[in-house]
Parts: sequence; structure tokens; C-alpha cells
Amino acid sequence: MADLLSTAVSALQTYRRGLDTTSHNIANVGTAGYSRQRIETATREAMPYGNGWVGTGVDVSTVRRVYDEFVTMQSRSSTTSYEEQAAYASLAERINNLYASSTTGLSATLQKFSNALQAVANAPSSSSARQVMLSEANTLAAQMNSYATTLNGIASELNQRVTSATNEVNSLATAIADLNDKIVVAQNRTGQPPNDLLDQRDVLLDELSAKVAVTTLRQDDGSINVFIGTGQPLVLGRQASKLVTGPDEFDASRLQVSMQTTSGTVDVTKSLTGGEIGGLLQFRDGMLEGARNSLGQLAVGIAALVNEQQAQGMDLNGAMGKALFAVGGVETLRSANNTGTGSPSVTRVDATKITTSNYRLELAGGTWSLRNADTGAAVAMTGSGTAADPFVADGLEIVVPAGAVDGDEFQIRPTQNAAIGMKVLFTDPSSLAAALPVIASTASANTGSGRLGELSVVDPTNPGLRTTASIVFSSPTSYSVDGGPAQTYVAGQPIVANGWSLMIEGTPAAGDTFGVKDNSTGVGDNRNFLTLADRLGKPYLDDGKTSLSGAIGRVVADVGVQTRQAQVSRDALAAVQQDAIAAKDSVSGVNLDEEAANLIRYQQAYQAAAQVVQVANETFNTLLGAIAR
Amino acid sequence: MTRISTAGQHYRSLNALLNAQSQLAKTQQQIATGRRVQTPADDPIGATRIQDLARQLSASNQYLANNDIARSRLALEEQALADVSTSITRIRELLVQAGTDTVDYESRQMVRLEIEGRAQELLDIANRKDAQGEYLFAGLATLTQPFARVAGVVTYFGDQSQRMQQVGETQRIADGDSGAEVFGRIDEGNGMFVTGAAAGNTGSGSVSVGHLVDRAAWTGQTYTVQFTSTTDWQVVDSTVPTPNVVATGTYRSGDAIVFGGASIAISGSPAAGDSFTVRASGSTDLFSALDKLVSTLGDRADTAATKAQWRTAVDGSLEQLDQAFDRILEMRSSVGVRLNMLDVAQAAQEDAALNFETLISDVRDLDYSEAVTRLNVQYTGLQAAQKAIANVGQLSLFDYL
Repeated sequence: MADLLSTAVSALQTYRRGLDTTSHNIANVGTAGYSRQRIETATREAMPYGNGWVGTGVDVSTVRRVYDEFVTMQSRSSTTSYEEQAAYASLAERINNLYASSTTGLSATLQKFSNALQAVANAPSSSSARQVMLSEANTLAAQMNSYATTLNGIASELNQRVTSATNEVNSLATAIADLNDKIVVAQNRTGQPPNDLLDQRDVLLDELSAKVAVTTLRQDDGSINVFIGTGQPLVLGRQASKLVTGPDEFDASRLQVSMQTTSGTVDVTKSLTGGEIGGLLQFRDGMLEGARNSLGQLAVGIAALVNEQQAQGMDLNGAMGKALFAVGGVETLRSANNTGTGSPSVTRVDATKITTSNYRLELAGGTWSLRNADTGAAVAMTGSGTAADPFVADGLEIVVPAGAVDGDEFQIRPTQNAAIGMKVLFTDPSSLAAALPVIASTASANTGSGRLGELSVVDPTNPGLRTTASIVFSSPTSYSVDGGPAQTYVAGQPIVANGWSLMIEGTPAAGDTFGVKDNSTGVGDNRNFLTLADRLGKPYLDDGKTSLSGAIGRVVADVGVQTRQAQVSRDALAAVQQDAIAAKDSVSGVNLDEEAANLIRYQQAYQAAAQVVQVANETFNTLLGAIAR
Repeated sequence: MTRISTAGQHYRSLNALLNAQSQLAKTQQQIATGRRVQTPADDPIGATRIQDLARQLSASNQYLANNDIARSRLALEEQALADVSTSITRIRELLVQAGTDTVDYESRQMVRLEIEGRAQELLDIANRKDAQGEYLFAGLATLTQPFARVAGVVTYFGDQSQRMQQVGETQRIADGDSGAEVFGRIDEGNGMFVTGAAAGNTGSGSVSVGHLVDRAAWTGQTYTVQFTSTTDWQVVDSTVPTPNVVATGTYRSGDAIVFGGASIAISGSPAAGDSFTVRASGSTDLFSALDKLVSTLGDRADTAATKAQWRTAVDGSLEQLDQAFDRILEMRSSVGVRLNMLDVAQAAQEDAALNFETLISDVRDLDYSEAVTRLNVQYTGLQAAQKAIANVGQLSLFDYL
């Protein structure tokens, strides 16, 4: 009889646990990361009798957390991938929106500048047309500045995001280490897993994997070790390491992430992948760097082309044209590890050869070498690096510092600073050099069919450029300039002297004279700007392969394609992540209907056990009554 | 069977709802702006194409503006050239009227005064300005007055260049002609050679302007027709040393004298020792031709010899006026050709601009019927998602406990 009662009590206690656990599940239906719990029941040890083993009731063997390690890891890694793309895409969209408009975009602005240029060519002496062109030039420079400022703003915002993400990683790592401690203690005390603490730690790991890709290793004592990058330990048992951000070796405005360990600080920037931090770093080295450099290349190209043409022309006051645009110079950055002194001086000499790459200049074994910083490929240099004979590579002239010692490294960024420094150099509209400084004429006494063809300036610095020169033909195939030596005339070949080049069409006769003289009265001359307008549409950049508008188109297409890729993969990864979370939920999530059913089940079992107590009571009373009688 | 957790179910329906909302918002934005491509990421290739087309459209519109400017300047030039033609025709009429021997000296002076007036009018036309205040005929020195009298001689101060206007991607058309080209490139004489009488002639022989009979034989040398007697002439080539006689003959008034491919006629009675020259023509300008004409009309010409000189000069001037008229006609046809080219270029650019607009619209703009259909579908989807959340959320076993 005592057995009956104790069996019933064991059932009462067990189903009471069941009801408790169910109620805990119901209570936590909204708790993030909560895994439903189940009581695991087992029969008590049976009592041996001669006629067999008689059961003695039920016990709760453990309260089990319904949890699948595999789906949890899957949901974690999908979160890492998703957050990486989401961070990348959110920044890519910013650049994308910058380049969005077809009516106010760079392409439209450059075309407006070109149109204003043609309006000056229509009426070179009109000061209003010149004023409009000058203000279009200012608009163009201002737009370049504003684009570059926005991109720089994105870069500094990115730094802040990296810093705050790093701080979050640190606080998560500390919290995980704390939980590790609590879990080990709790597990040691009871021998049973502390389910709710495990859930809390999983939530922290989920949050951590949203920041950066992690690998975890479960230990026998219940703690978990967390590694990032290429196996750098972030959490070891109850010890958490710290991530710190610091300036890049070359560029202080560019943050690097390092890990502080007992053995020192290790730069882990290159090895951090996944999560928000991975996405941010990937965006910075990829799309952002590309966007800044190609904008810079464009600014360099526009300025060089316009300035070249201005230099060949003559302004409204009769003076030789001067540069219209200035752009920011080449950046040369010393490595913080350099032991030598000085920095190379780098100047752009040929805008058509300037690329969108950054370079690494280094002195090793007494030899200077140049590498592409993005691809690592060696770049060939000519020259010897001295001021008299500088290194020349990719449109740059490099004069190396005398104080450099072996092992010194420098970063060269030819274009990144160009767009932000773009500005218009003069405010006087009459300084626009629409005219050519020279003009040709035919003597009225000429008897041949030679007519003036195109006259152009080939060397604007020639001191004799604007002095009056006369070309006298002594025969249809021979001429002399200003009484100089006889030269052979070949039809279709220009006559070049004093820095100008003149084409003659038709056949001159002996004694025919052509003149070239100063054009300071030529206020109605538009020849130089016609050439400029023409050149603006012709291939120029990339060694004369890409026109300026083509380069803008390329920038826009690049931004569009990269943004779209990021968006598409973000959306795809979001679906993957949702599926993984659903799979995890399907295992661990609380279903209220299920809990209601369990509630009924445990309640009924509890009521049945109570009934057994009643039966035991009655049975005992029956026995007592029989004895009392 | 997949087990569904309560929170998961909620999360899933909520996601569906948010997704439907975001798609609906995108379609709404497309409909509101009328544009399919909002940012480069919507269609990277399309976005580049739109920018390219927009650039070309803008360039086309600029070419059209350039075209208008060139047209208005050429129209002004055409008007000026028409006025020049009228003046020259009138001067020629006056000269024909005054050029007969029967008109007396006083009447000739009346004509001379009118011709002087006309010459001034021509100078004014040559110095005309356009609406911007630029001289039409100064070449590129558009703010320099092209023609002015210096020490009694009309001198050209402009240059020989033309300003070109870009009216198509590869097409440039000159929006004017320099004064040197229009007024300063008039062939002398008959275009090949110029005849003249020696200043010391004593007979009454006058020489015609002549013409070429054998173009191949004409070498451009300077010849002199010398009268060895009143009846005999010989032609010498003055550019080579003696013996240099190229032809001889017996004189008869008005007969052709042919040598070196040229044919001239001398009429009247030349005296022995009189000579007439024939030289290759160069070019002259309208104003010096007119000055010469005016000074010829001022000659008294009252002896047989001076009358003959005068006759030769008037004939020469008439020829010179014809040459000038031809030159102006030539320029007018050149301007006409350019105006015609401008019309063609304008039509081409207008077509191109329309084409670019259509292409831009094709790539950038929204297909409204498709978008509205899509909006309806998405709207229905959103409604369904909302209903699903509301309905499924109501189901619970606890309701039955």
C-alpha cells in the first residue's frame, strides 16, 4: 500500500514538473532565442518480488532543451552572410543614389559644360556666353567636389561603423565569457545543463555572428570557445580577448582592426570576413575605393584636357590661355614603419595614362620597385628616380627621397584626392581661350591653287609662335619660312614652324606666299574651342581609348552593377537566413497549441495520479476498517 | 511534417506582409515618377544607355542652336551681298550711260558723283555688323572695322579666316566670309590677262579687254604690242631678252591680234611708236577698282590720244565691274549652298533629337498598363497577407480549454 502511494506521489511530482515546464514554455513564447523545454521521464527502479518485478513509479530524468546544434550553426552562418551583404548593399545604395539622376548627373553636367563651350564658340566675343561657360565650369567642379565629399563622408561613416561594430563584438565576447563561467558553475553544481543560460549564450553568439564570422568549439565543461578570422581566439572559456581599431600603416584616416592578446596586438583586418564588419571592410576596399579613384581619374582627365587646350589658345585679351581647372594632387603616404626619412614627390605628367589604381613604392635591396596596391602586380618604371631623370610609370613621374633606407614603403594614390580638390582657377570670363594665337593669310598675288587649310598650335611655349612668318614657295615642291633654308613640300603634309602647323590645300605655284601672324585682333575666333568641344567627345583616357563621357558611363555602369549584385545577393541571403531561422524555429520554437495539448495531457495524468492517491487512501481505509471491526 | 512554432508562424506571415508592402511601394514610386529605371542598380545597362542618350540629345539640341546662329549670320551676309549686287548693277548702268563719247564732261561729273556715293554705300555694306555688334566681313577680327580709307586708299584690316560652327557631330559650316574673300579677290581684266595702253601713246588707238583663244598656249608672260608704223605691229615678250618678237602683222582697226593664246583687238588710229600691254591678271579689290573708275570719269579726255586712253580705261572698268559682280554672285551661291546645308543639317539633328527622346523614353519610362496590372496584383497580395495574419492569429487551442 505504501508503494501505491509513493508511486502516485512520484507521478504527481513528475506531472507537476511537466506542468511547470509547459507553463515556462508558454511564458517564453515571445522570448528571443528561447528553446522549448521538455521533461524526460523514466520509470523508477522496479522492486523484485518472487513473482516478478513490480514498478515503483516515475521520475523526471532531466528537463531537456529541444535543440539541434546543426540547424543552429546553419542559421548562424546564414546570418553572418546576410549581414555582410546587407552592410555592403546599404552603403552601395548610397553611391548608387548619388549617381542616380540622368538629368543632374555627371554626364549631364559635362554635356552642359560642352554646350556652354559651343555657345562661346558661336559668339566668342559675347561676354554673357563666356560667363555662362565659366559658371558651367564651376558647376562641374562643384559637382565633382560634392560627389567626392559624399564618398569621403561614406568612408568616415564606415570608420565609425567599424569602430562601433568592434565595440559590440567586444561587449558580446565579454558577455559570452561571463555566461561560460556561469554555465560551468551551474553544470558542476547539478550535473544538469542550465538550459536558459545555454539559450542566452546562443543568443549572444547569434548577435556576434551578425557582426563577424565566428567558429565555435564546445568544451566538455559546457563552455564554448569562439574564434574569429583565421583562428584568432576571441573567447577562451571565461577569458575574452579585445578587438581594437587603429590607424592604417599608411593612411591614418583608414581604420584597421587588431586583436589584443596576452602575446601582443595582431592586425586581423585582412582575415575578418562575414557579418557587418566583413561587409564594411569589403565595401571599403572594393566599391568605395573604386568609386573614389574613378571619380578622381575623371576629374584629372577633364582638367588635363581642358587645360591643354586652353594653353594652346588665346584669350579675349590677346594673352595665351591659362589653365581653367585645378585638381587635387597625387597623395604619397609614408608607412608608419619606415625608418628612413622623406617622401617621394609624385606628379602626374600624362593624364591619358593615369589609372584608377593605387600603388606601393618600396625600396628593397637598394632597388626601388613599384607594385599595384590592389593586385600586387609589379609595374615597370623607366628612369632613375632622380629629379633630373625621374621614374616614369602609368602617367606619373616619381622622384624618390634621398633619406629612404632599405625596407621603406610608400603608398601612392594618383587619383583619390583629385575630385575633391577640383576648382576653377579664374573668374574673368575673358580668360577663356576660344581663339588661336596665330592666323594665316594668303598673298593676293598668288597664282597657284594653294589655299589655307587648318592652322593649329603644336607648341604653345615656342617663343616665336606669334611672330609674323612668311612662307614663300620657290616651286610647287619647295618652300622656305622667313628666308630660311629651302624645305621640301609634300602635298597633304603640314608646314611646321615656330610652334604652329599649317596645312595647305591645292598646289601652290612658284612665288606664292602664305603668312602666319599674331591673331591678337581675332576676338571672333572660335577655332580653339571648336577643337576643345570636339576633343571632349573623343577618346582620351586610358591611353586614348575612353572618352570622358565613356568614362562616366563606365562609372555609372560599375556602380549600378555592383549595387545590383549586392542587392540581389542580400535578398537571396535574406531568404536563406529566413529558411534557416524557420528550420531552427521548427525544432526549438514554442507552439502554443502543442503546449495547450501538453497542458491537458499533464493535467489529466496529474488528475489520474491524484485519483490513485485517493484509491490508495480508500484501500488503506478499507483495511483499517476491517481490522477495527 | 514541418513543425511550426507560434513565433515562427507570426514571423513568417509578418515577413510576407513586409515584402508585399515593399514591392507595392516600389511600384507606387515607379507609377508616381513614370520611370522604370530609378537608379543605376535598377538596370545598370539601361542607366548607362539613358545617360549616353541624354548626352547625345543635349548635344543635338546644341547643334541646333549652333545652326540657328550660323543661319542668322549667313542670312545677314546674304542680304549684304544682295545689296552689293544691286549697287554694282547700278554703277554699271551709270558707267554704260556715261561711257559713250557723246556724253559731255559735265554730265559725266554728275554720274561720277553718284558713283562716288554708291562706292561709299558699298564701303558701308562691307562694314556691316550683325546683331551682336560683330563685323560681318572682318574674318575672325570681328570687332575690328574691316575696311577704312587710309591715305585715300581703302585698306582691309580684317583677316582671311572664316568662323566655323559645329552643326553636327562631324559637320562644321562657315558662318561668314572674310572681306578679303568677298571684296578683295576680284580677278583683274578678263580673268586671265589685263590689257592697257602705254601712257605716252599719241595715236587714237584703244585696246579691247580681249579674250583667250588657246588656253594651253597661254603662258602668263607679259607682252607688248608695238606699232612700228601706223600700219605695222609686232608683239614682243617683255619677260625675255631680245630677240623676243612673237608675232607681227599689218594693222587694221578692230581686227583680232592673236599671240600666245590670247586675242585682243585695237581700234582707232594708233601712231607709230604707240604700244599696248598685255599681262597676266592678278586680283584686285572692289574699292580700288571703283576708285580707278571714279578717277577715269574725272578725266577730261579732250584729245584723240587721251580719248583713246579713256576709252581703254572705261572698257577695262566695265570688265572689272563684271568680274566683281561675278565674284559677288559666286559668294552668294556659296552662302546659298551653306544655307541649304544648314537646312539639311537642321533636319538631320531634329530627327536625331526626336529619335533620342524616343529611345530614352523606351529605356527609362514605365509601361503604365503593365505597372498598373502589377500594382493590382501586389495590392491583392498585400490584402491577402493581412487577412492571413488576422485569421490565423485567432486560432488557438486555448480557446477551447
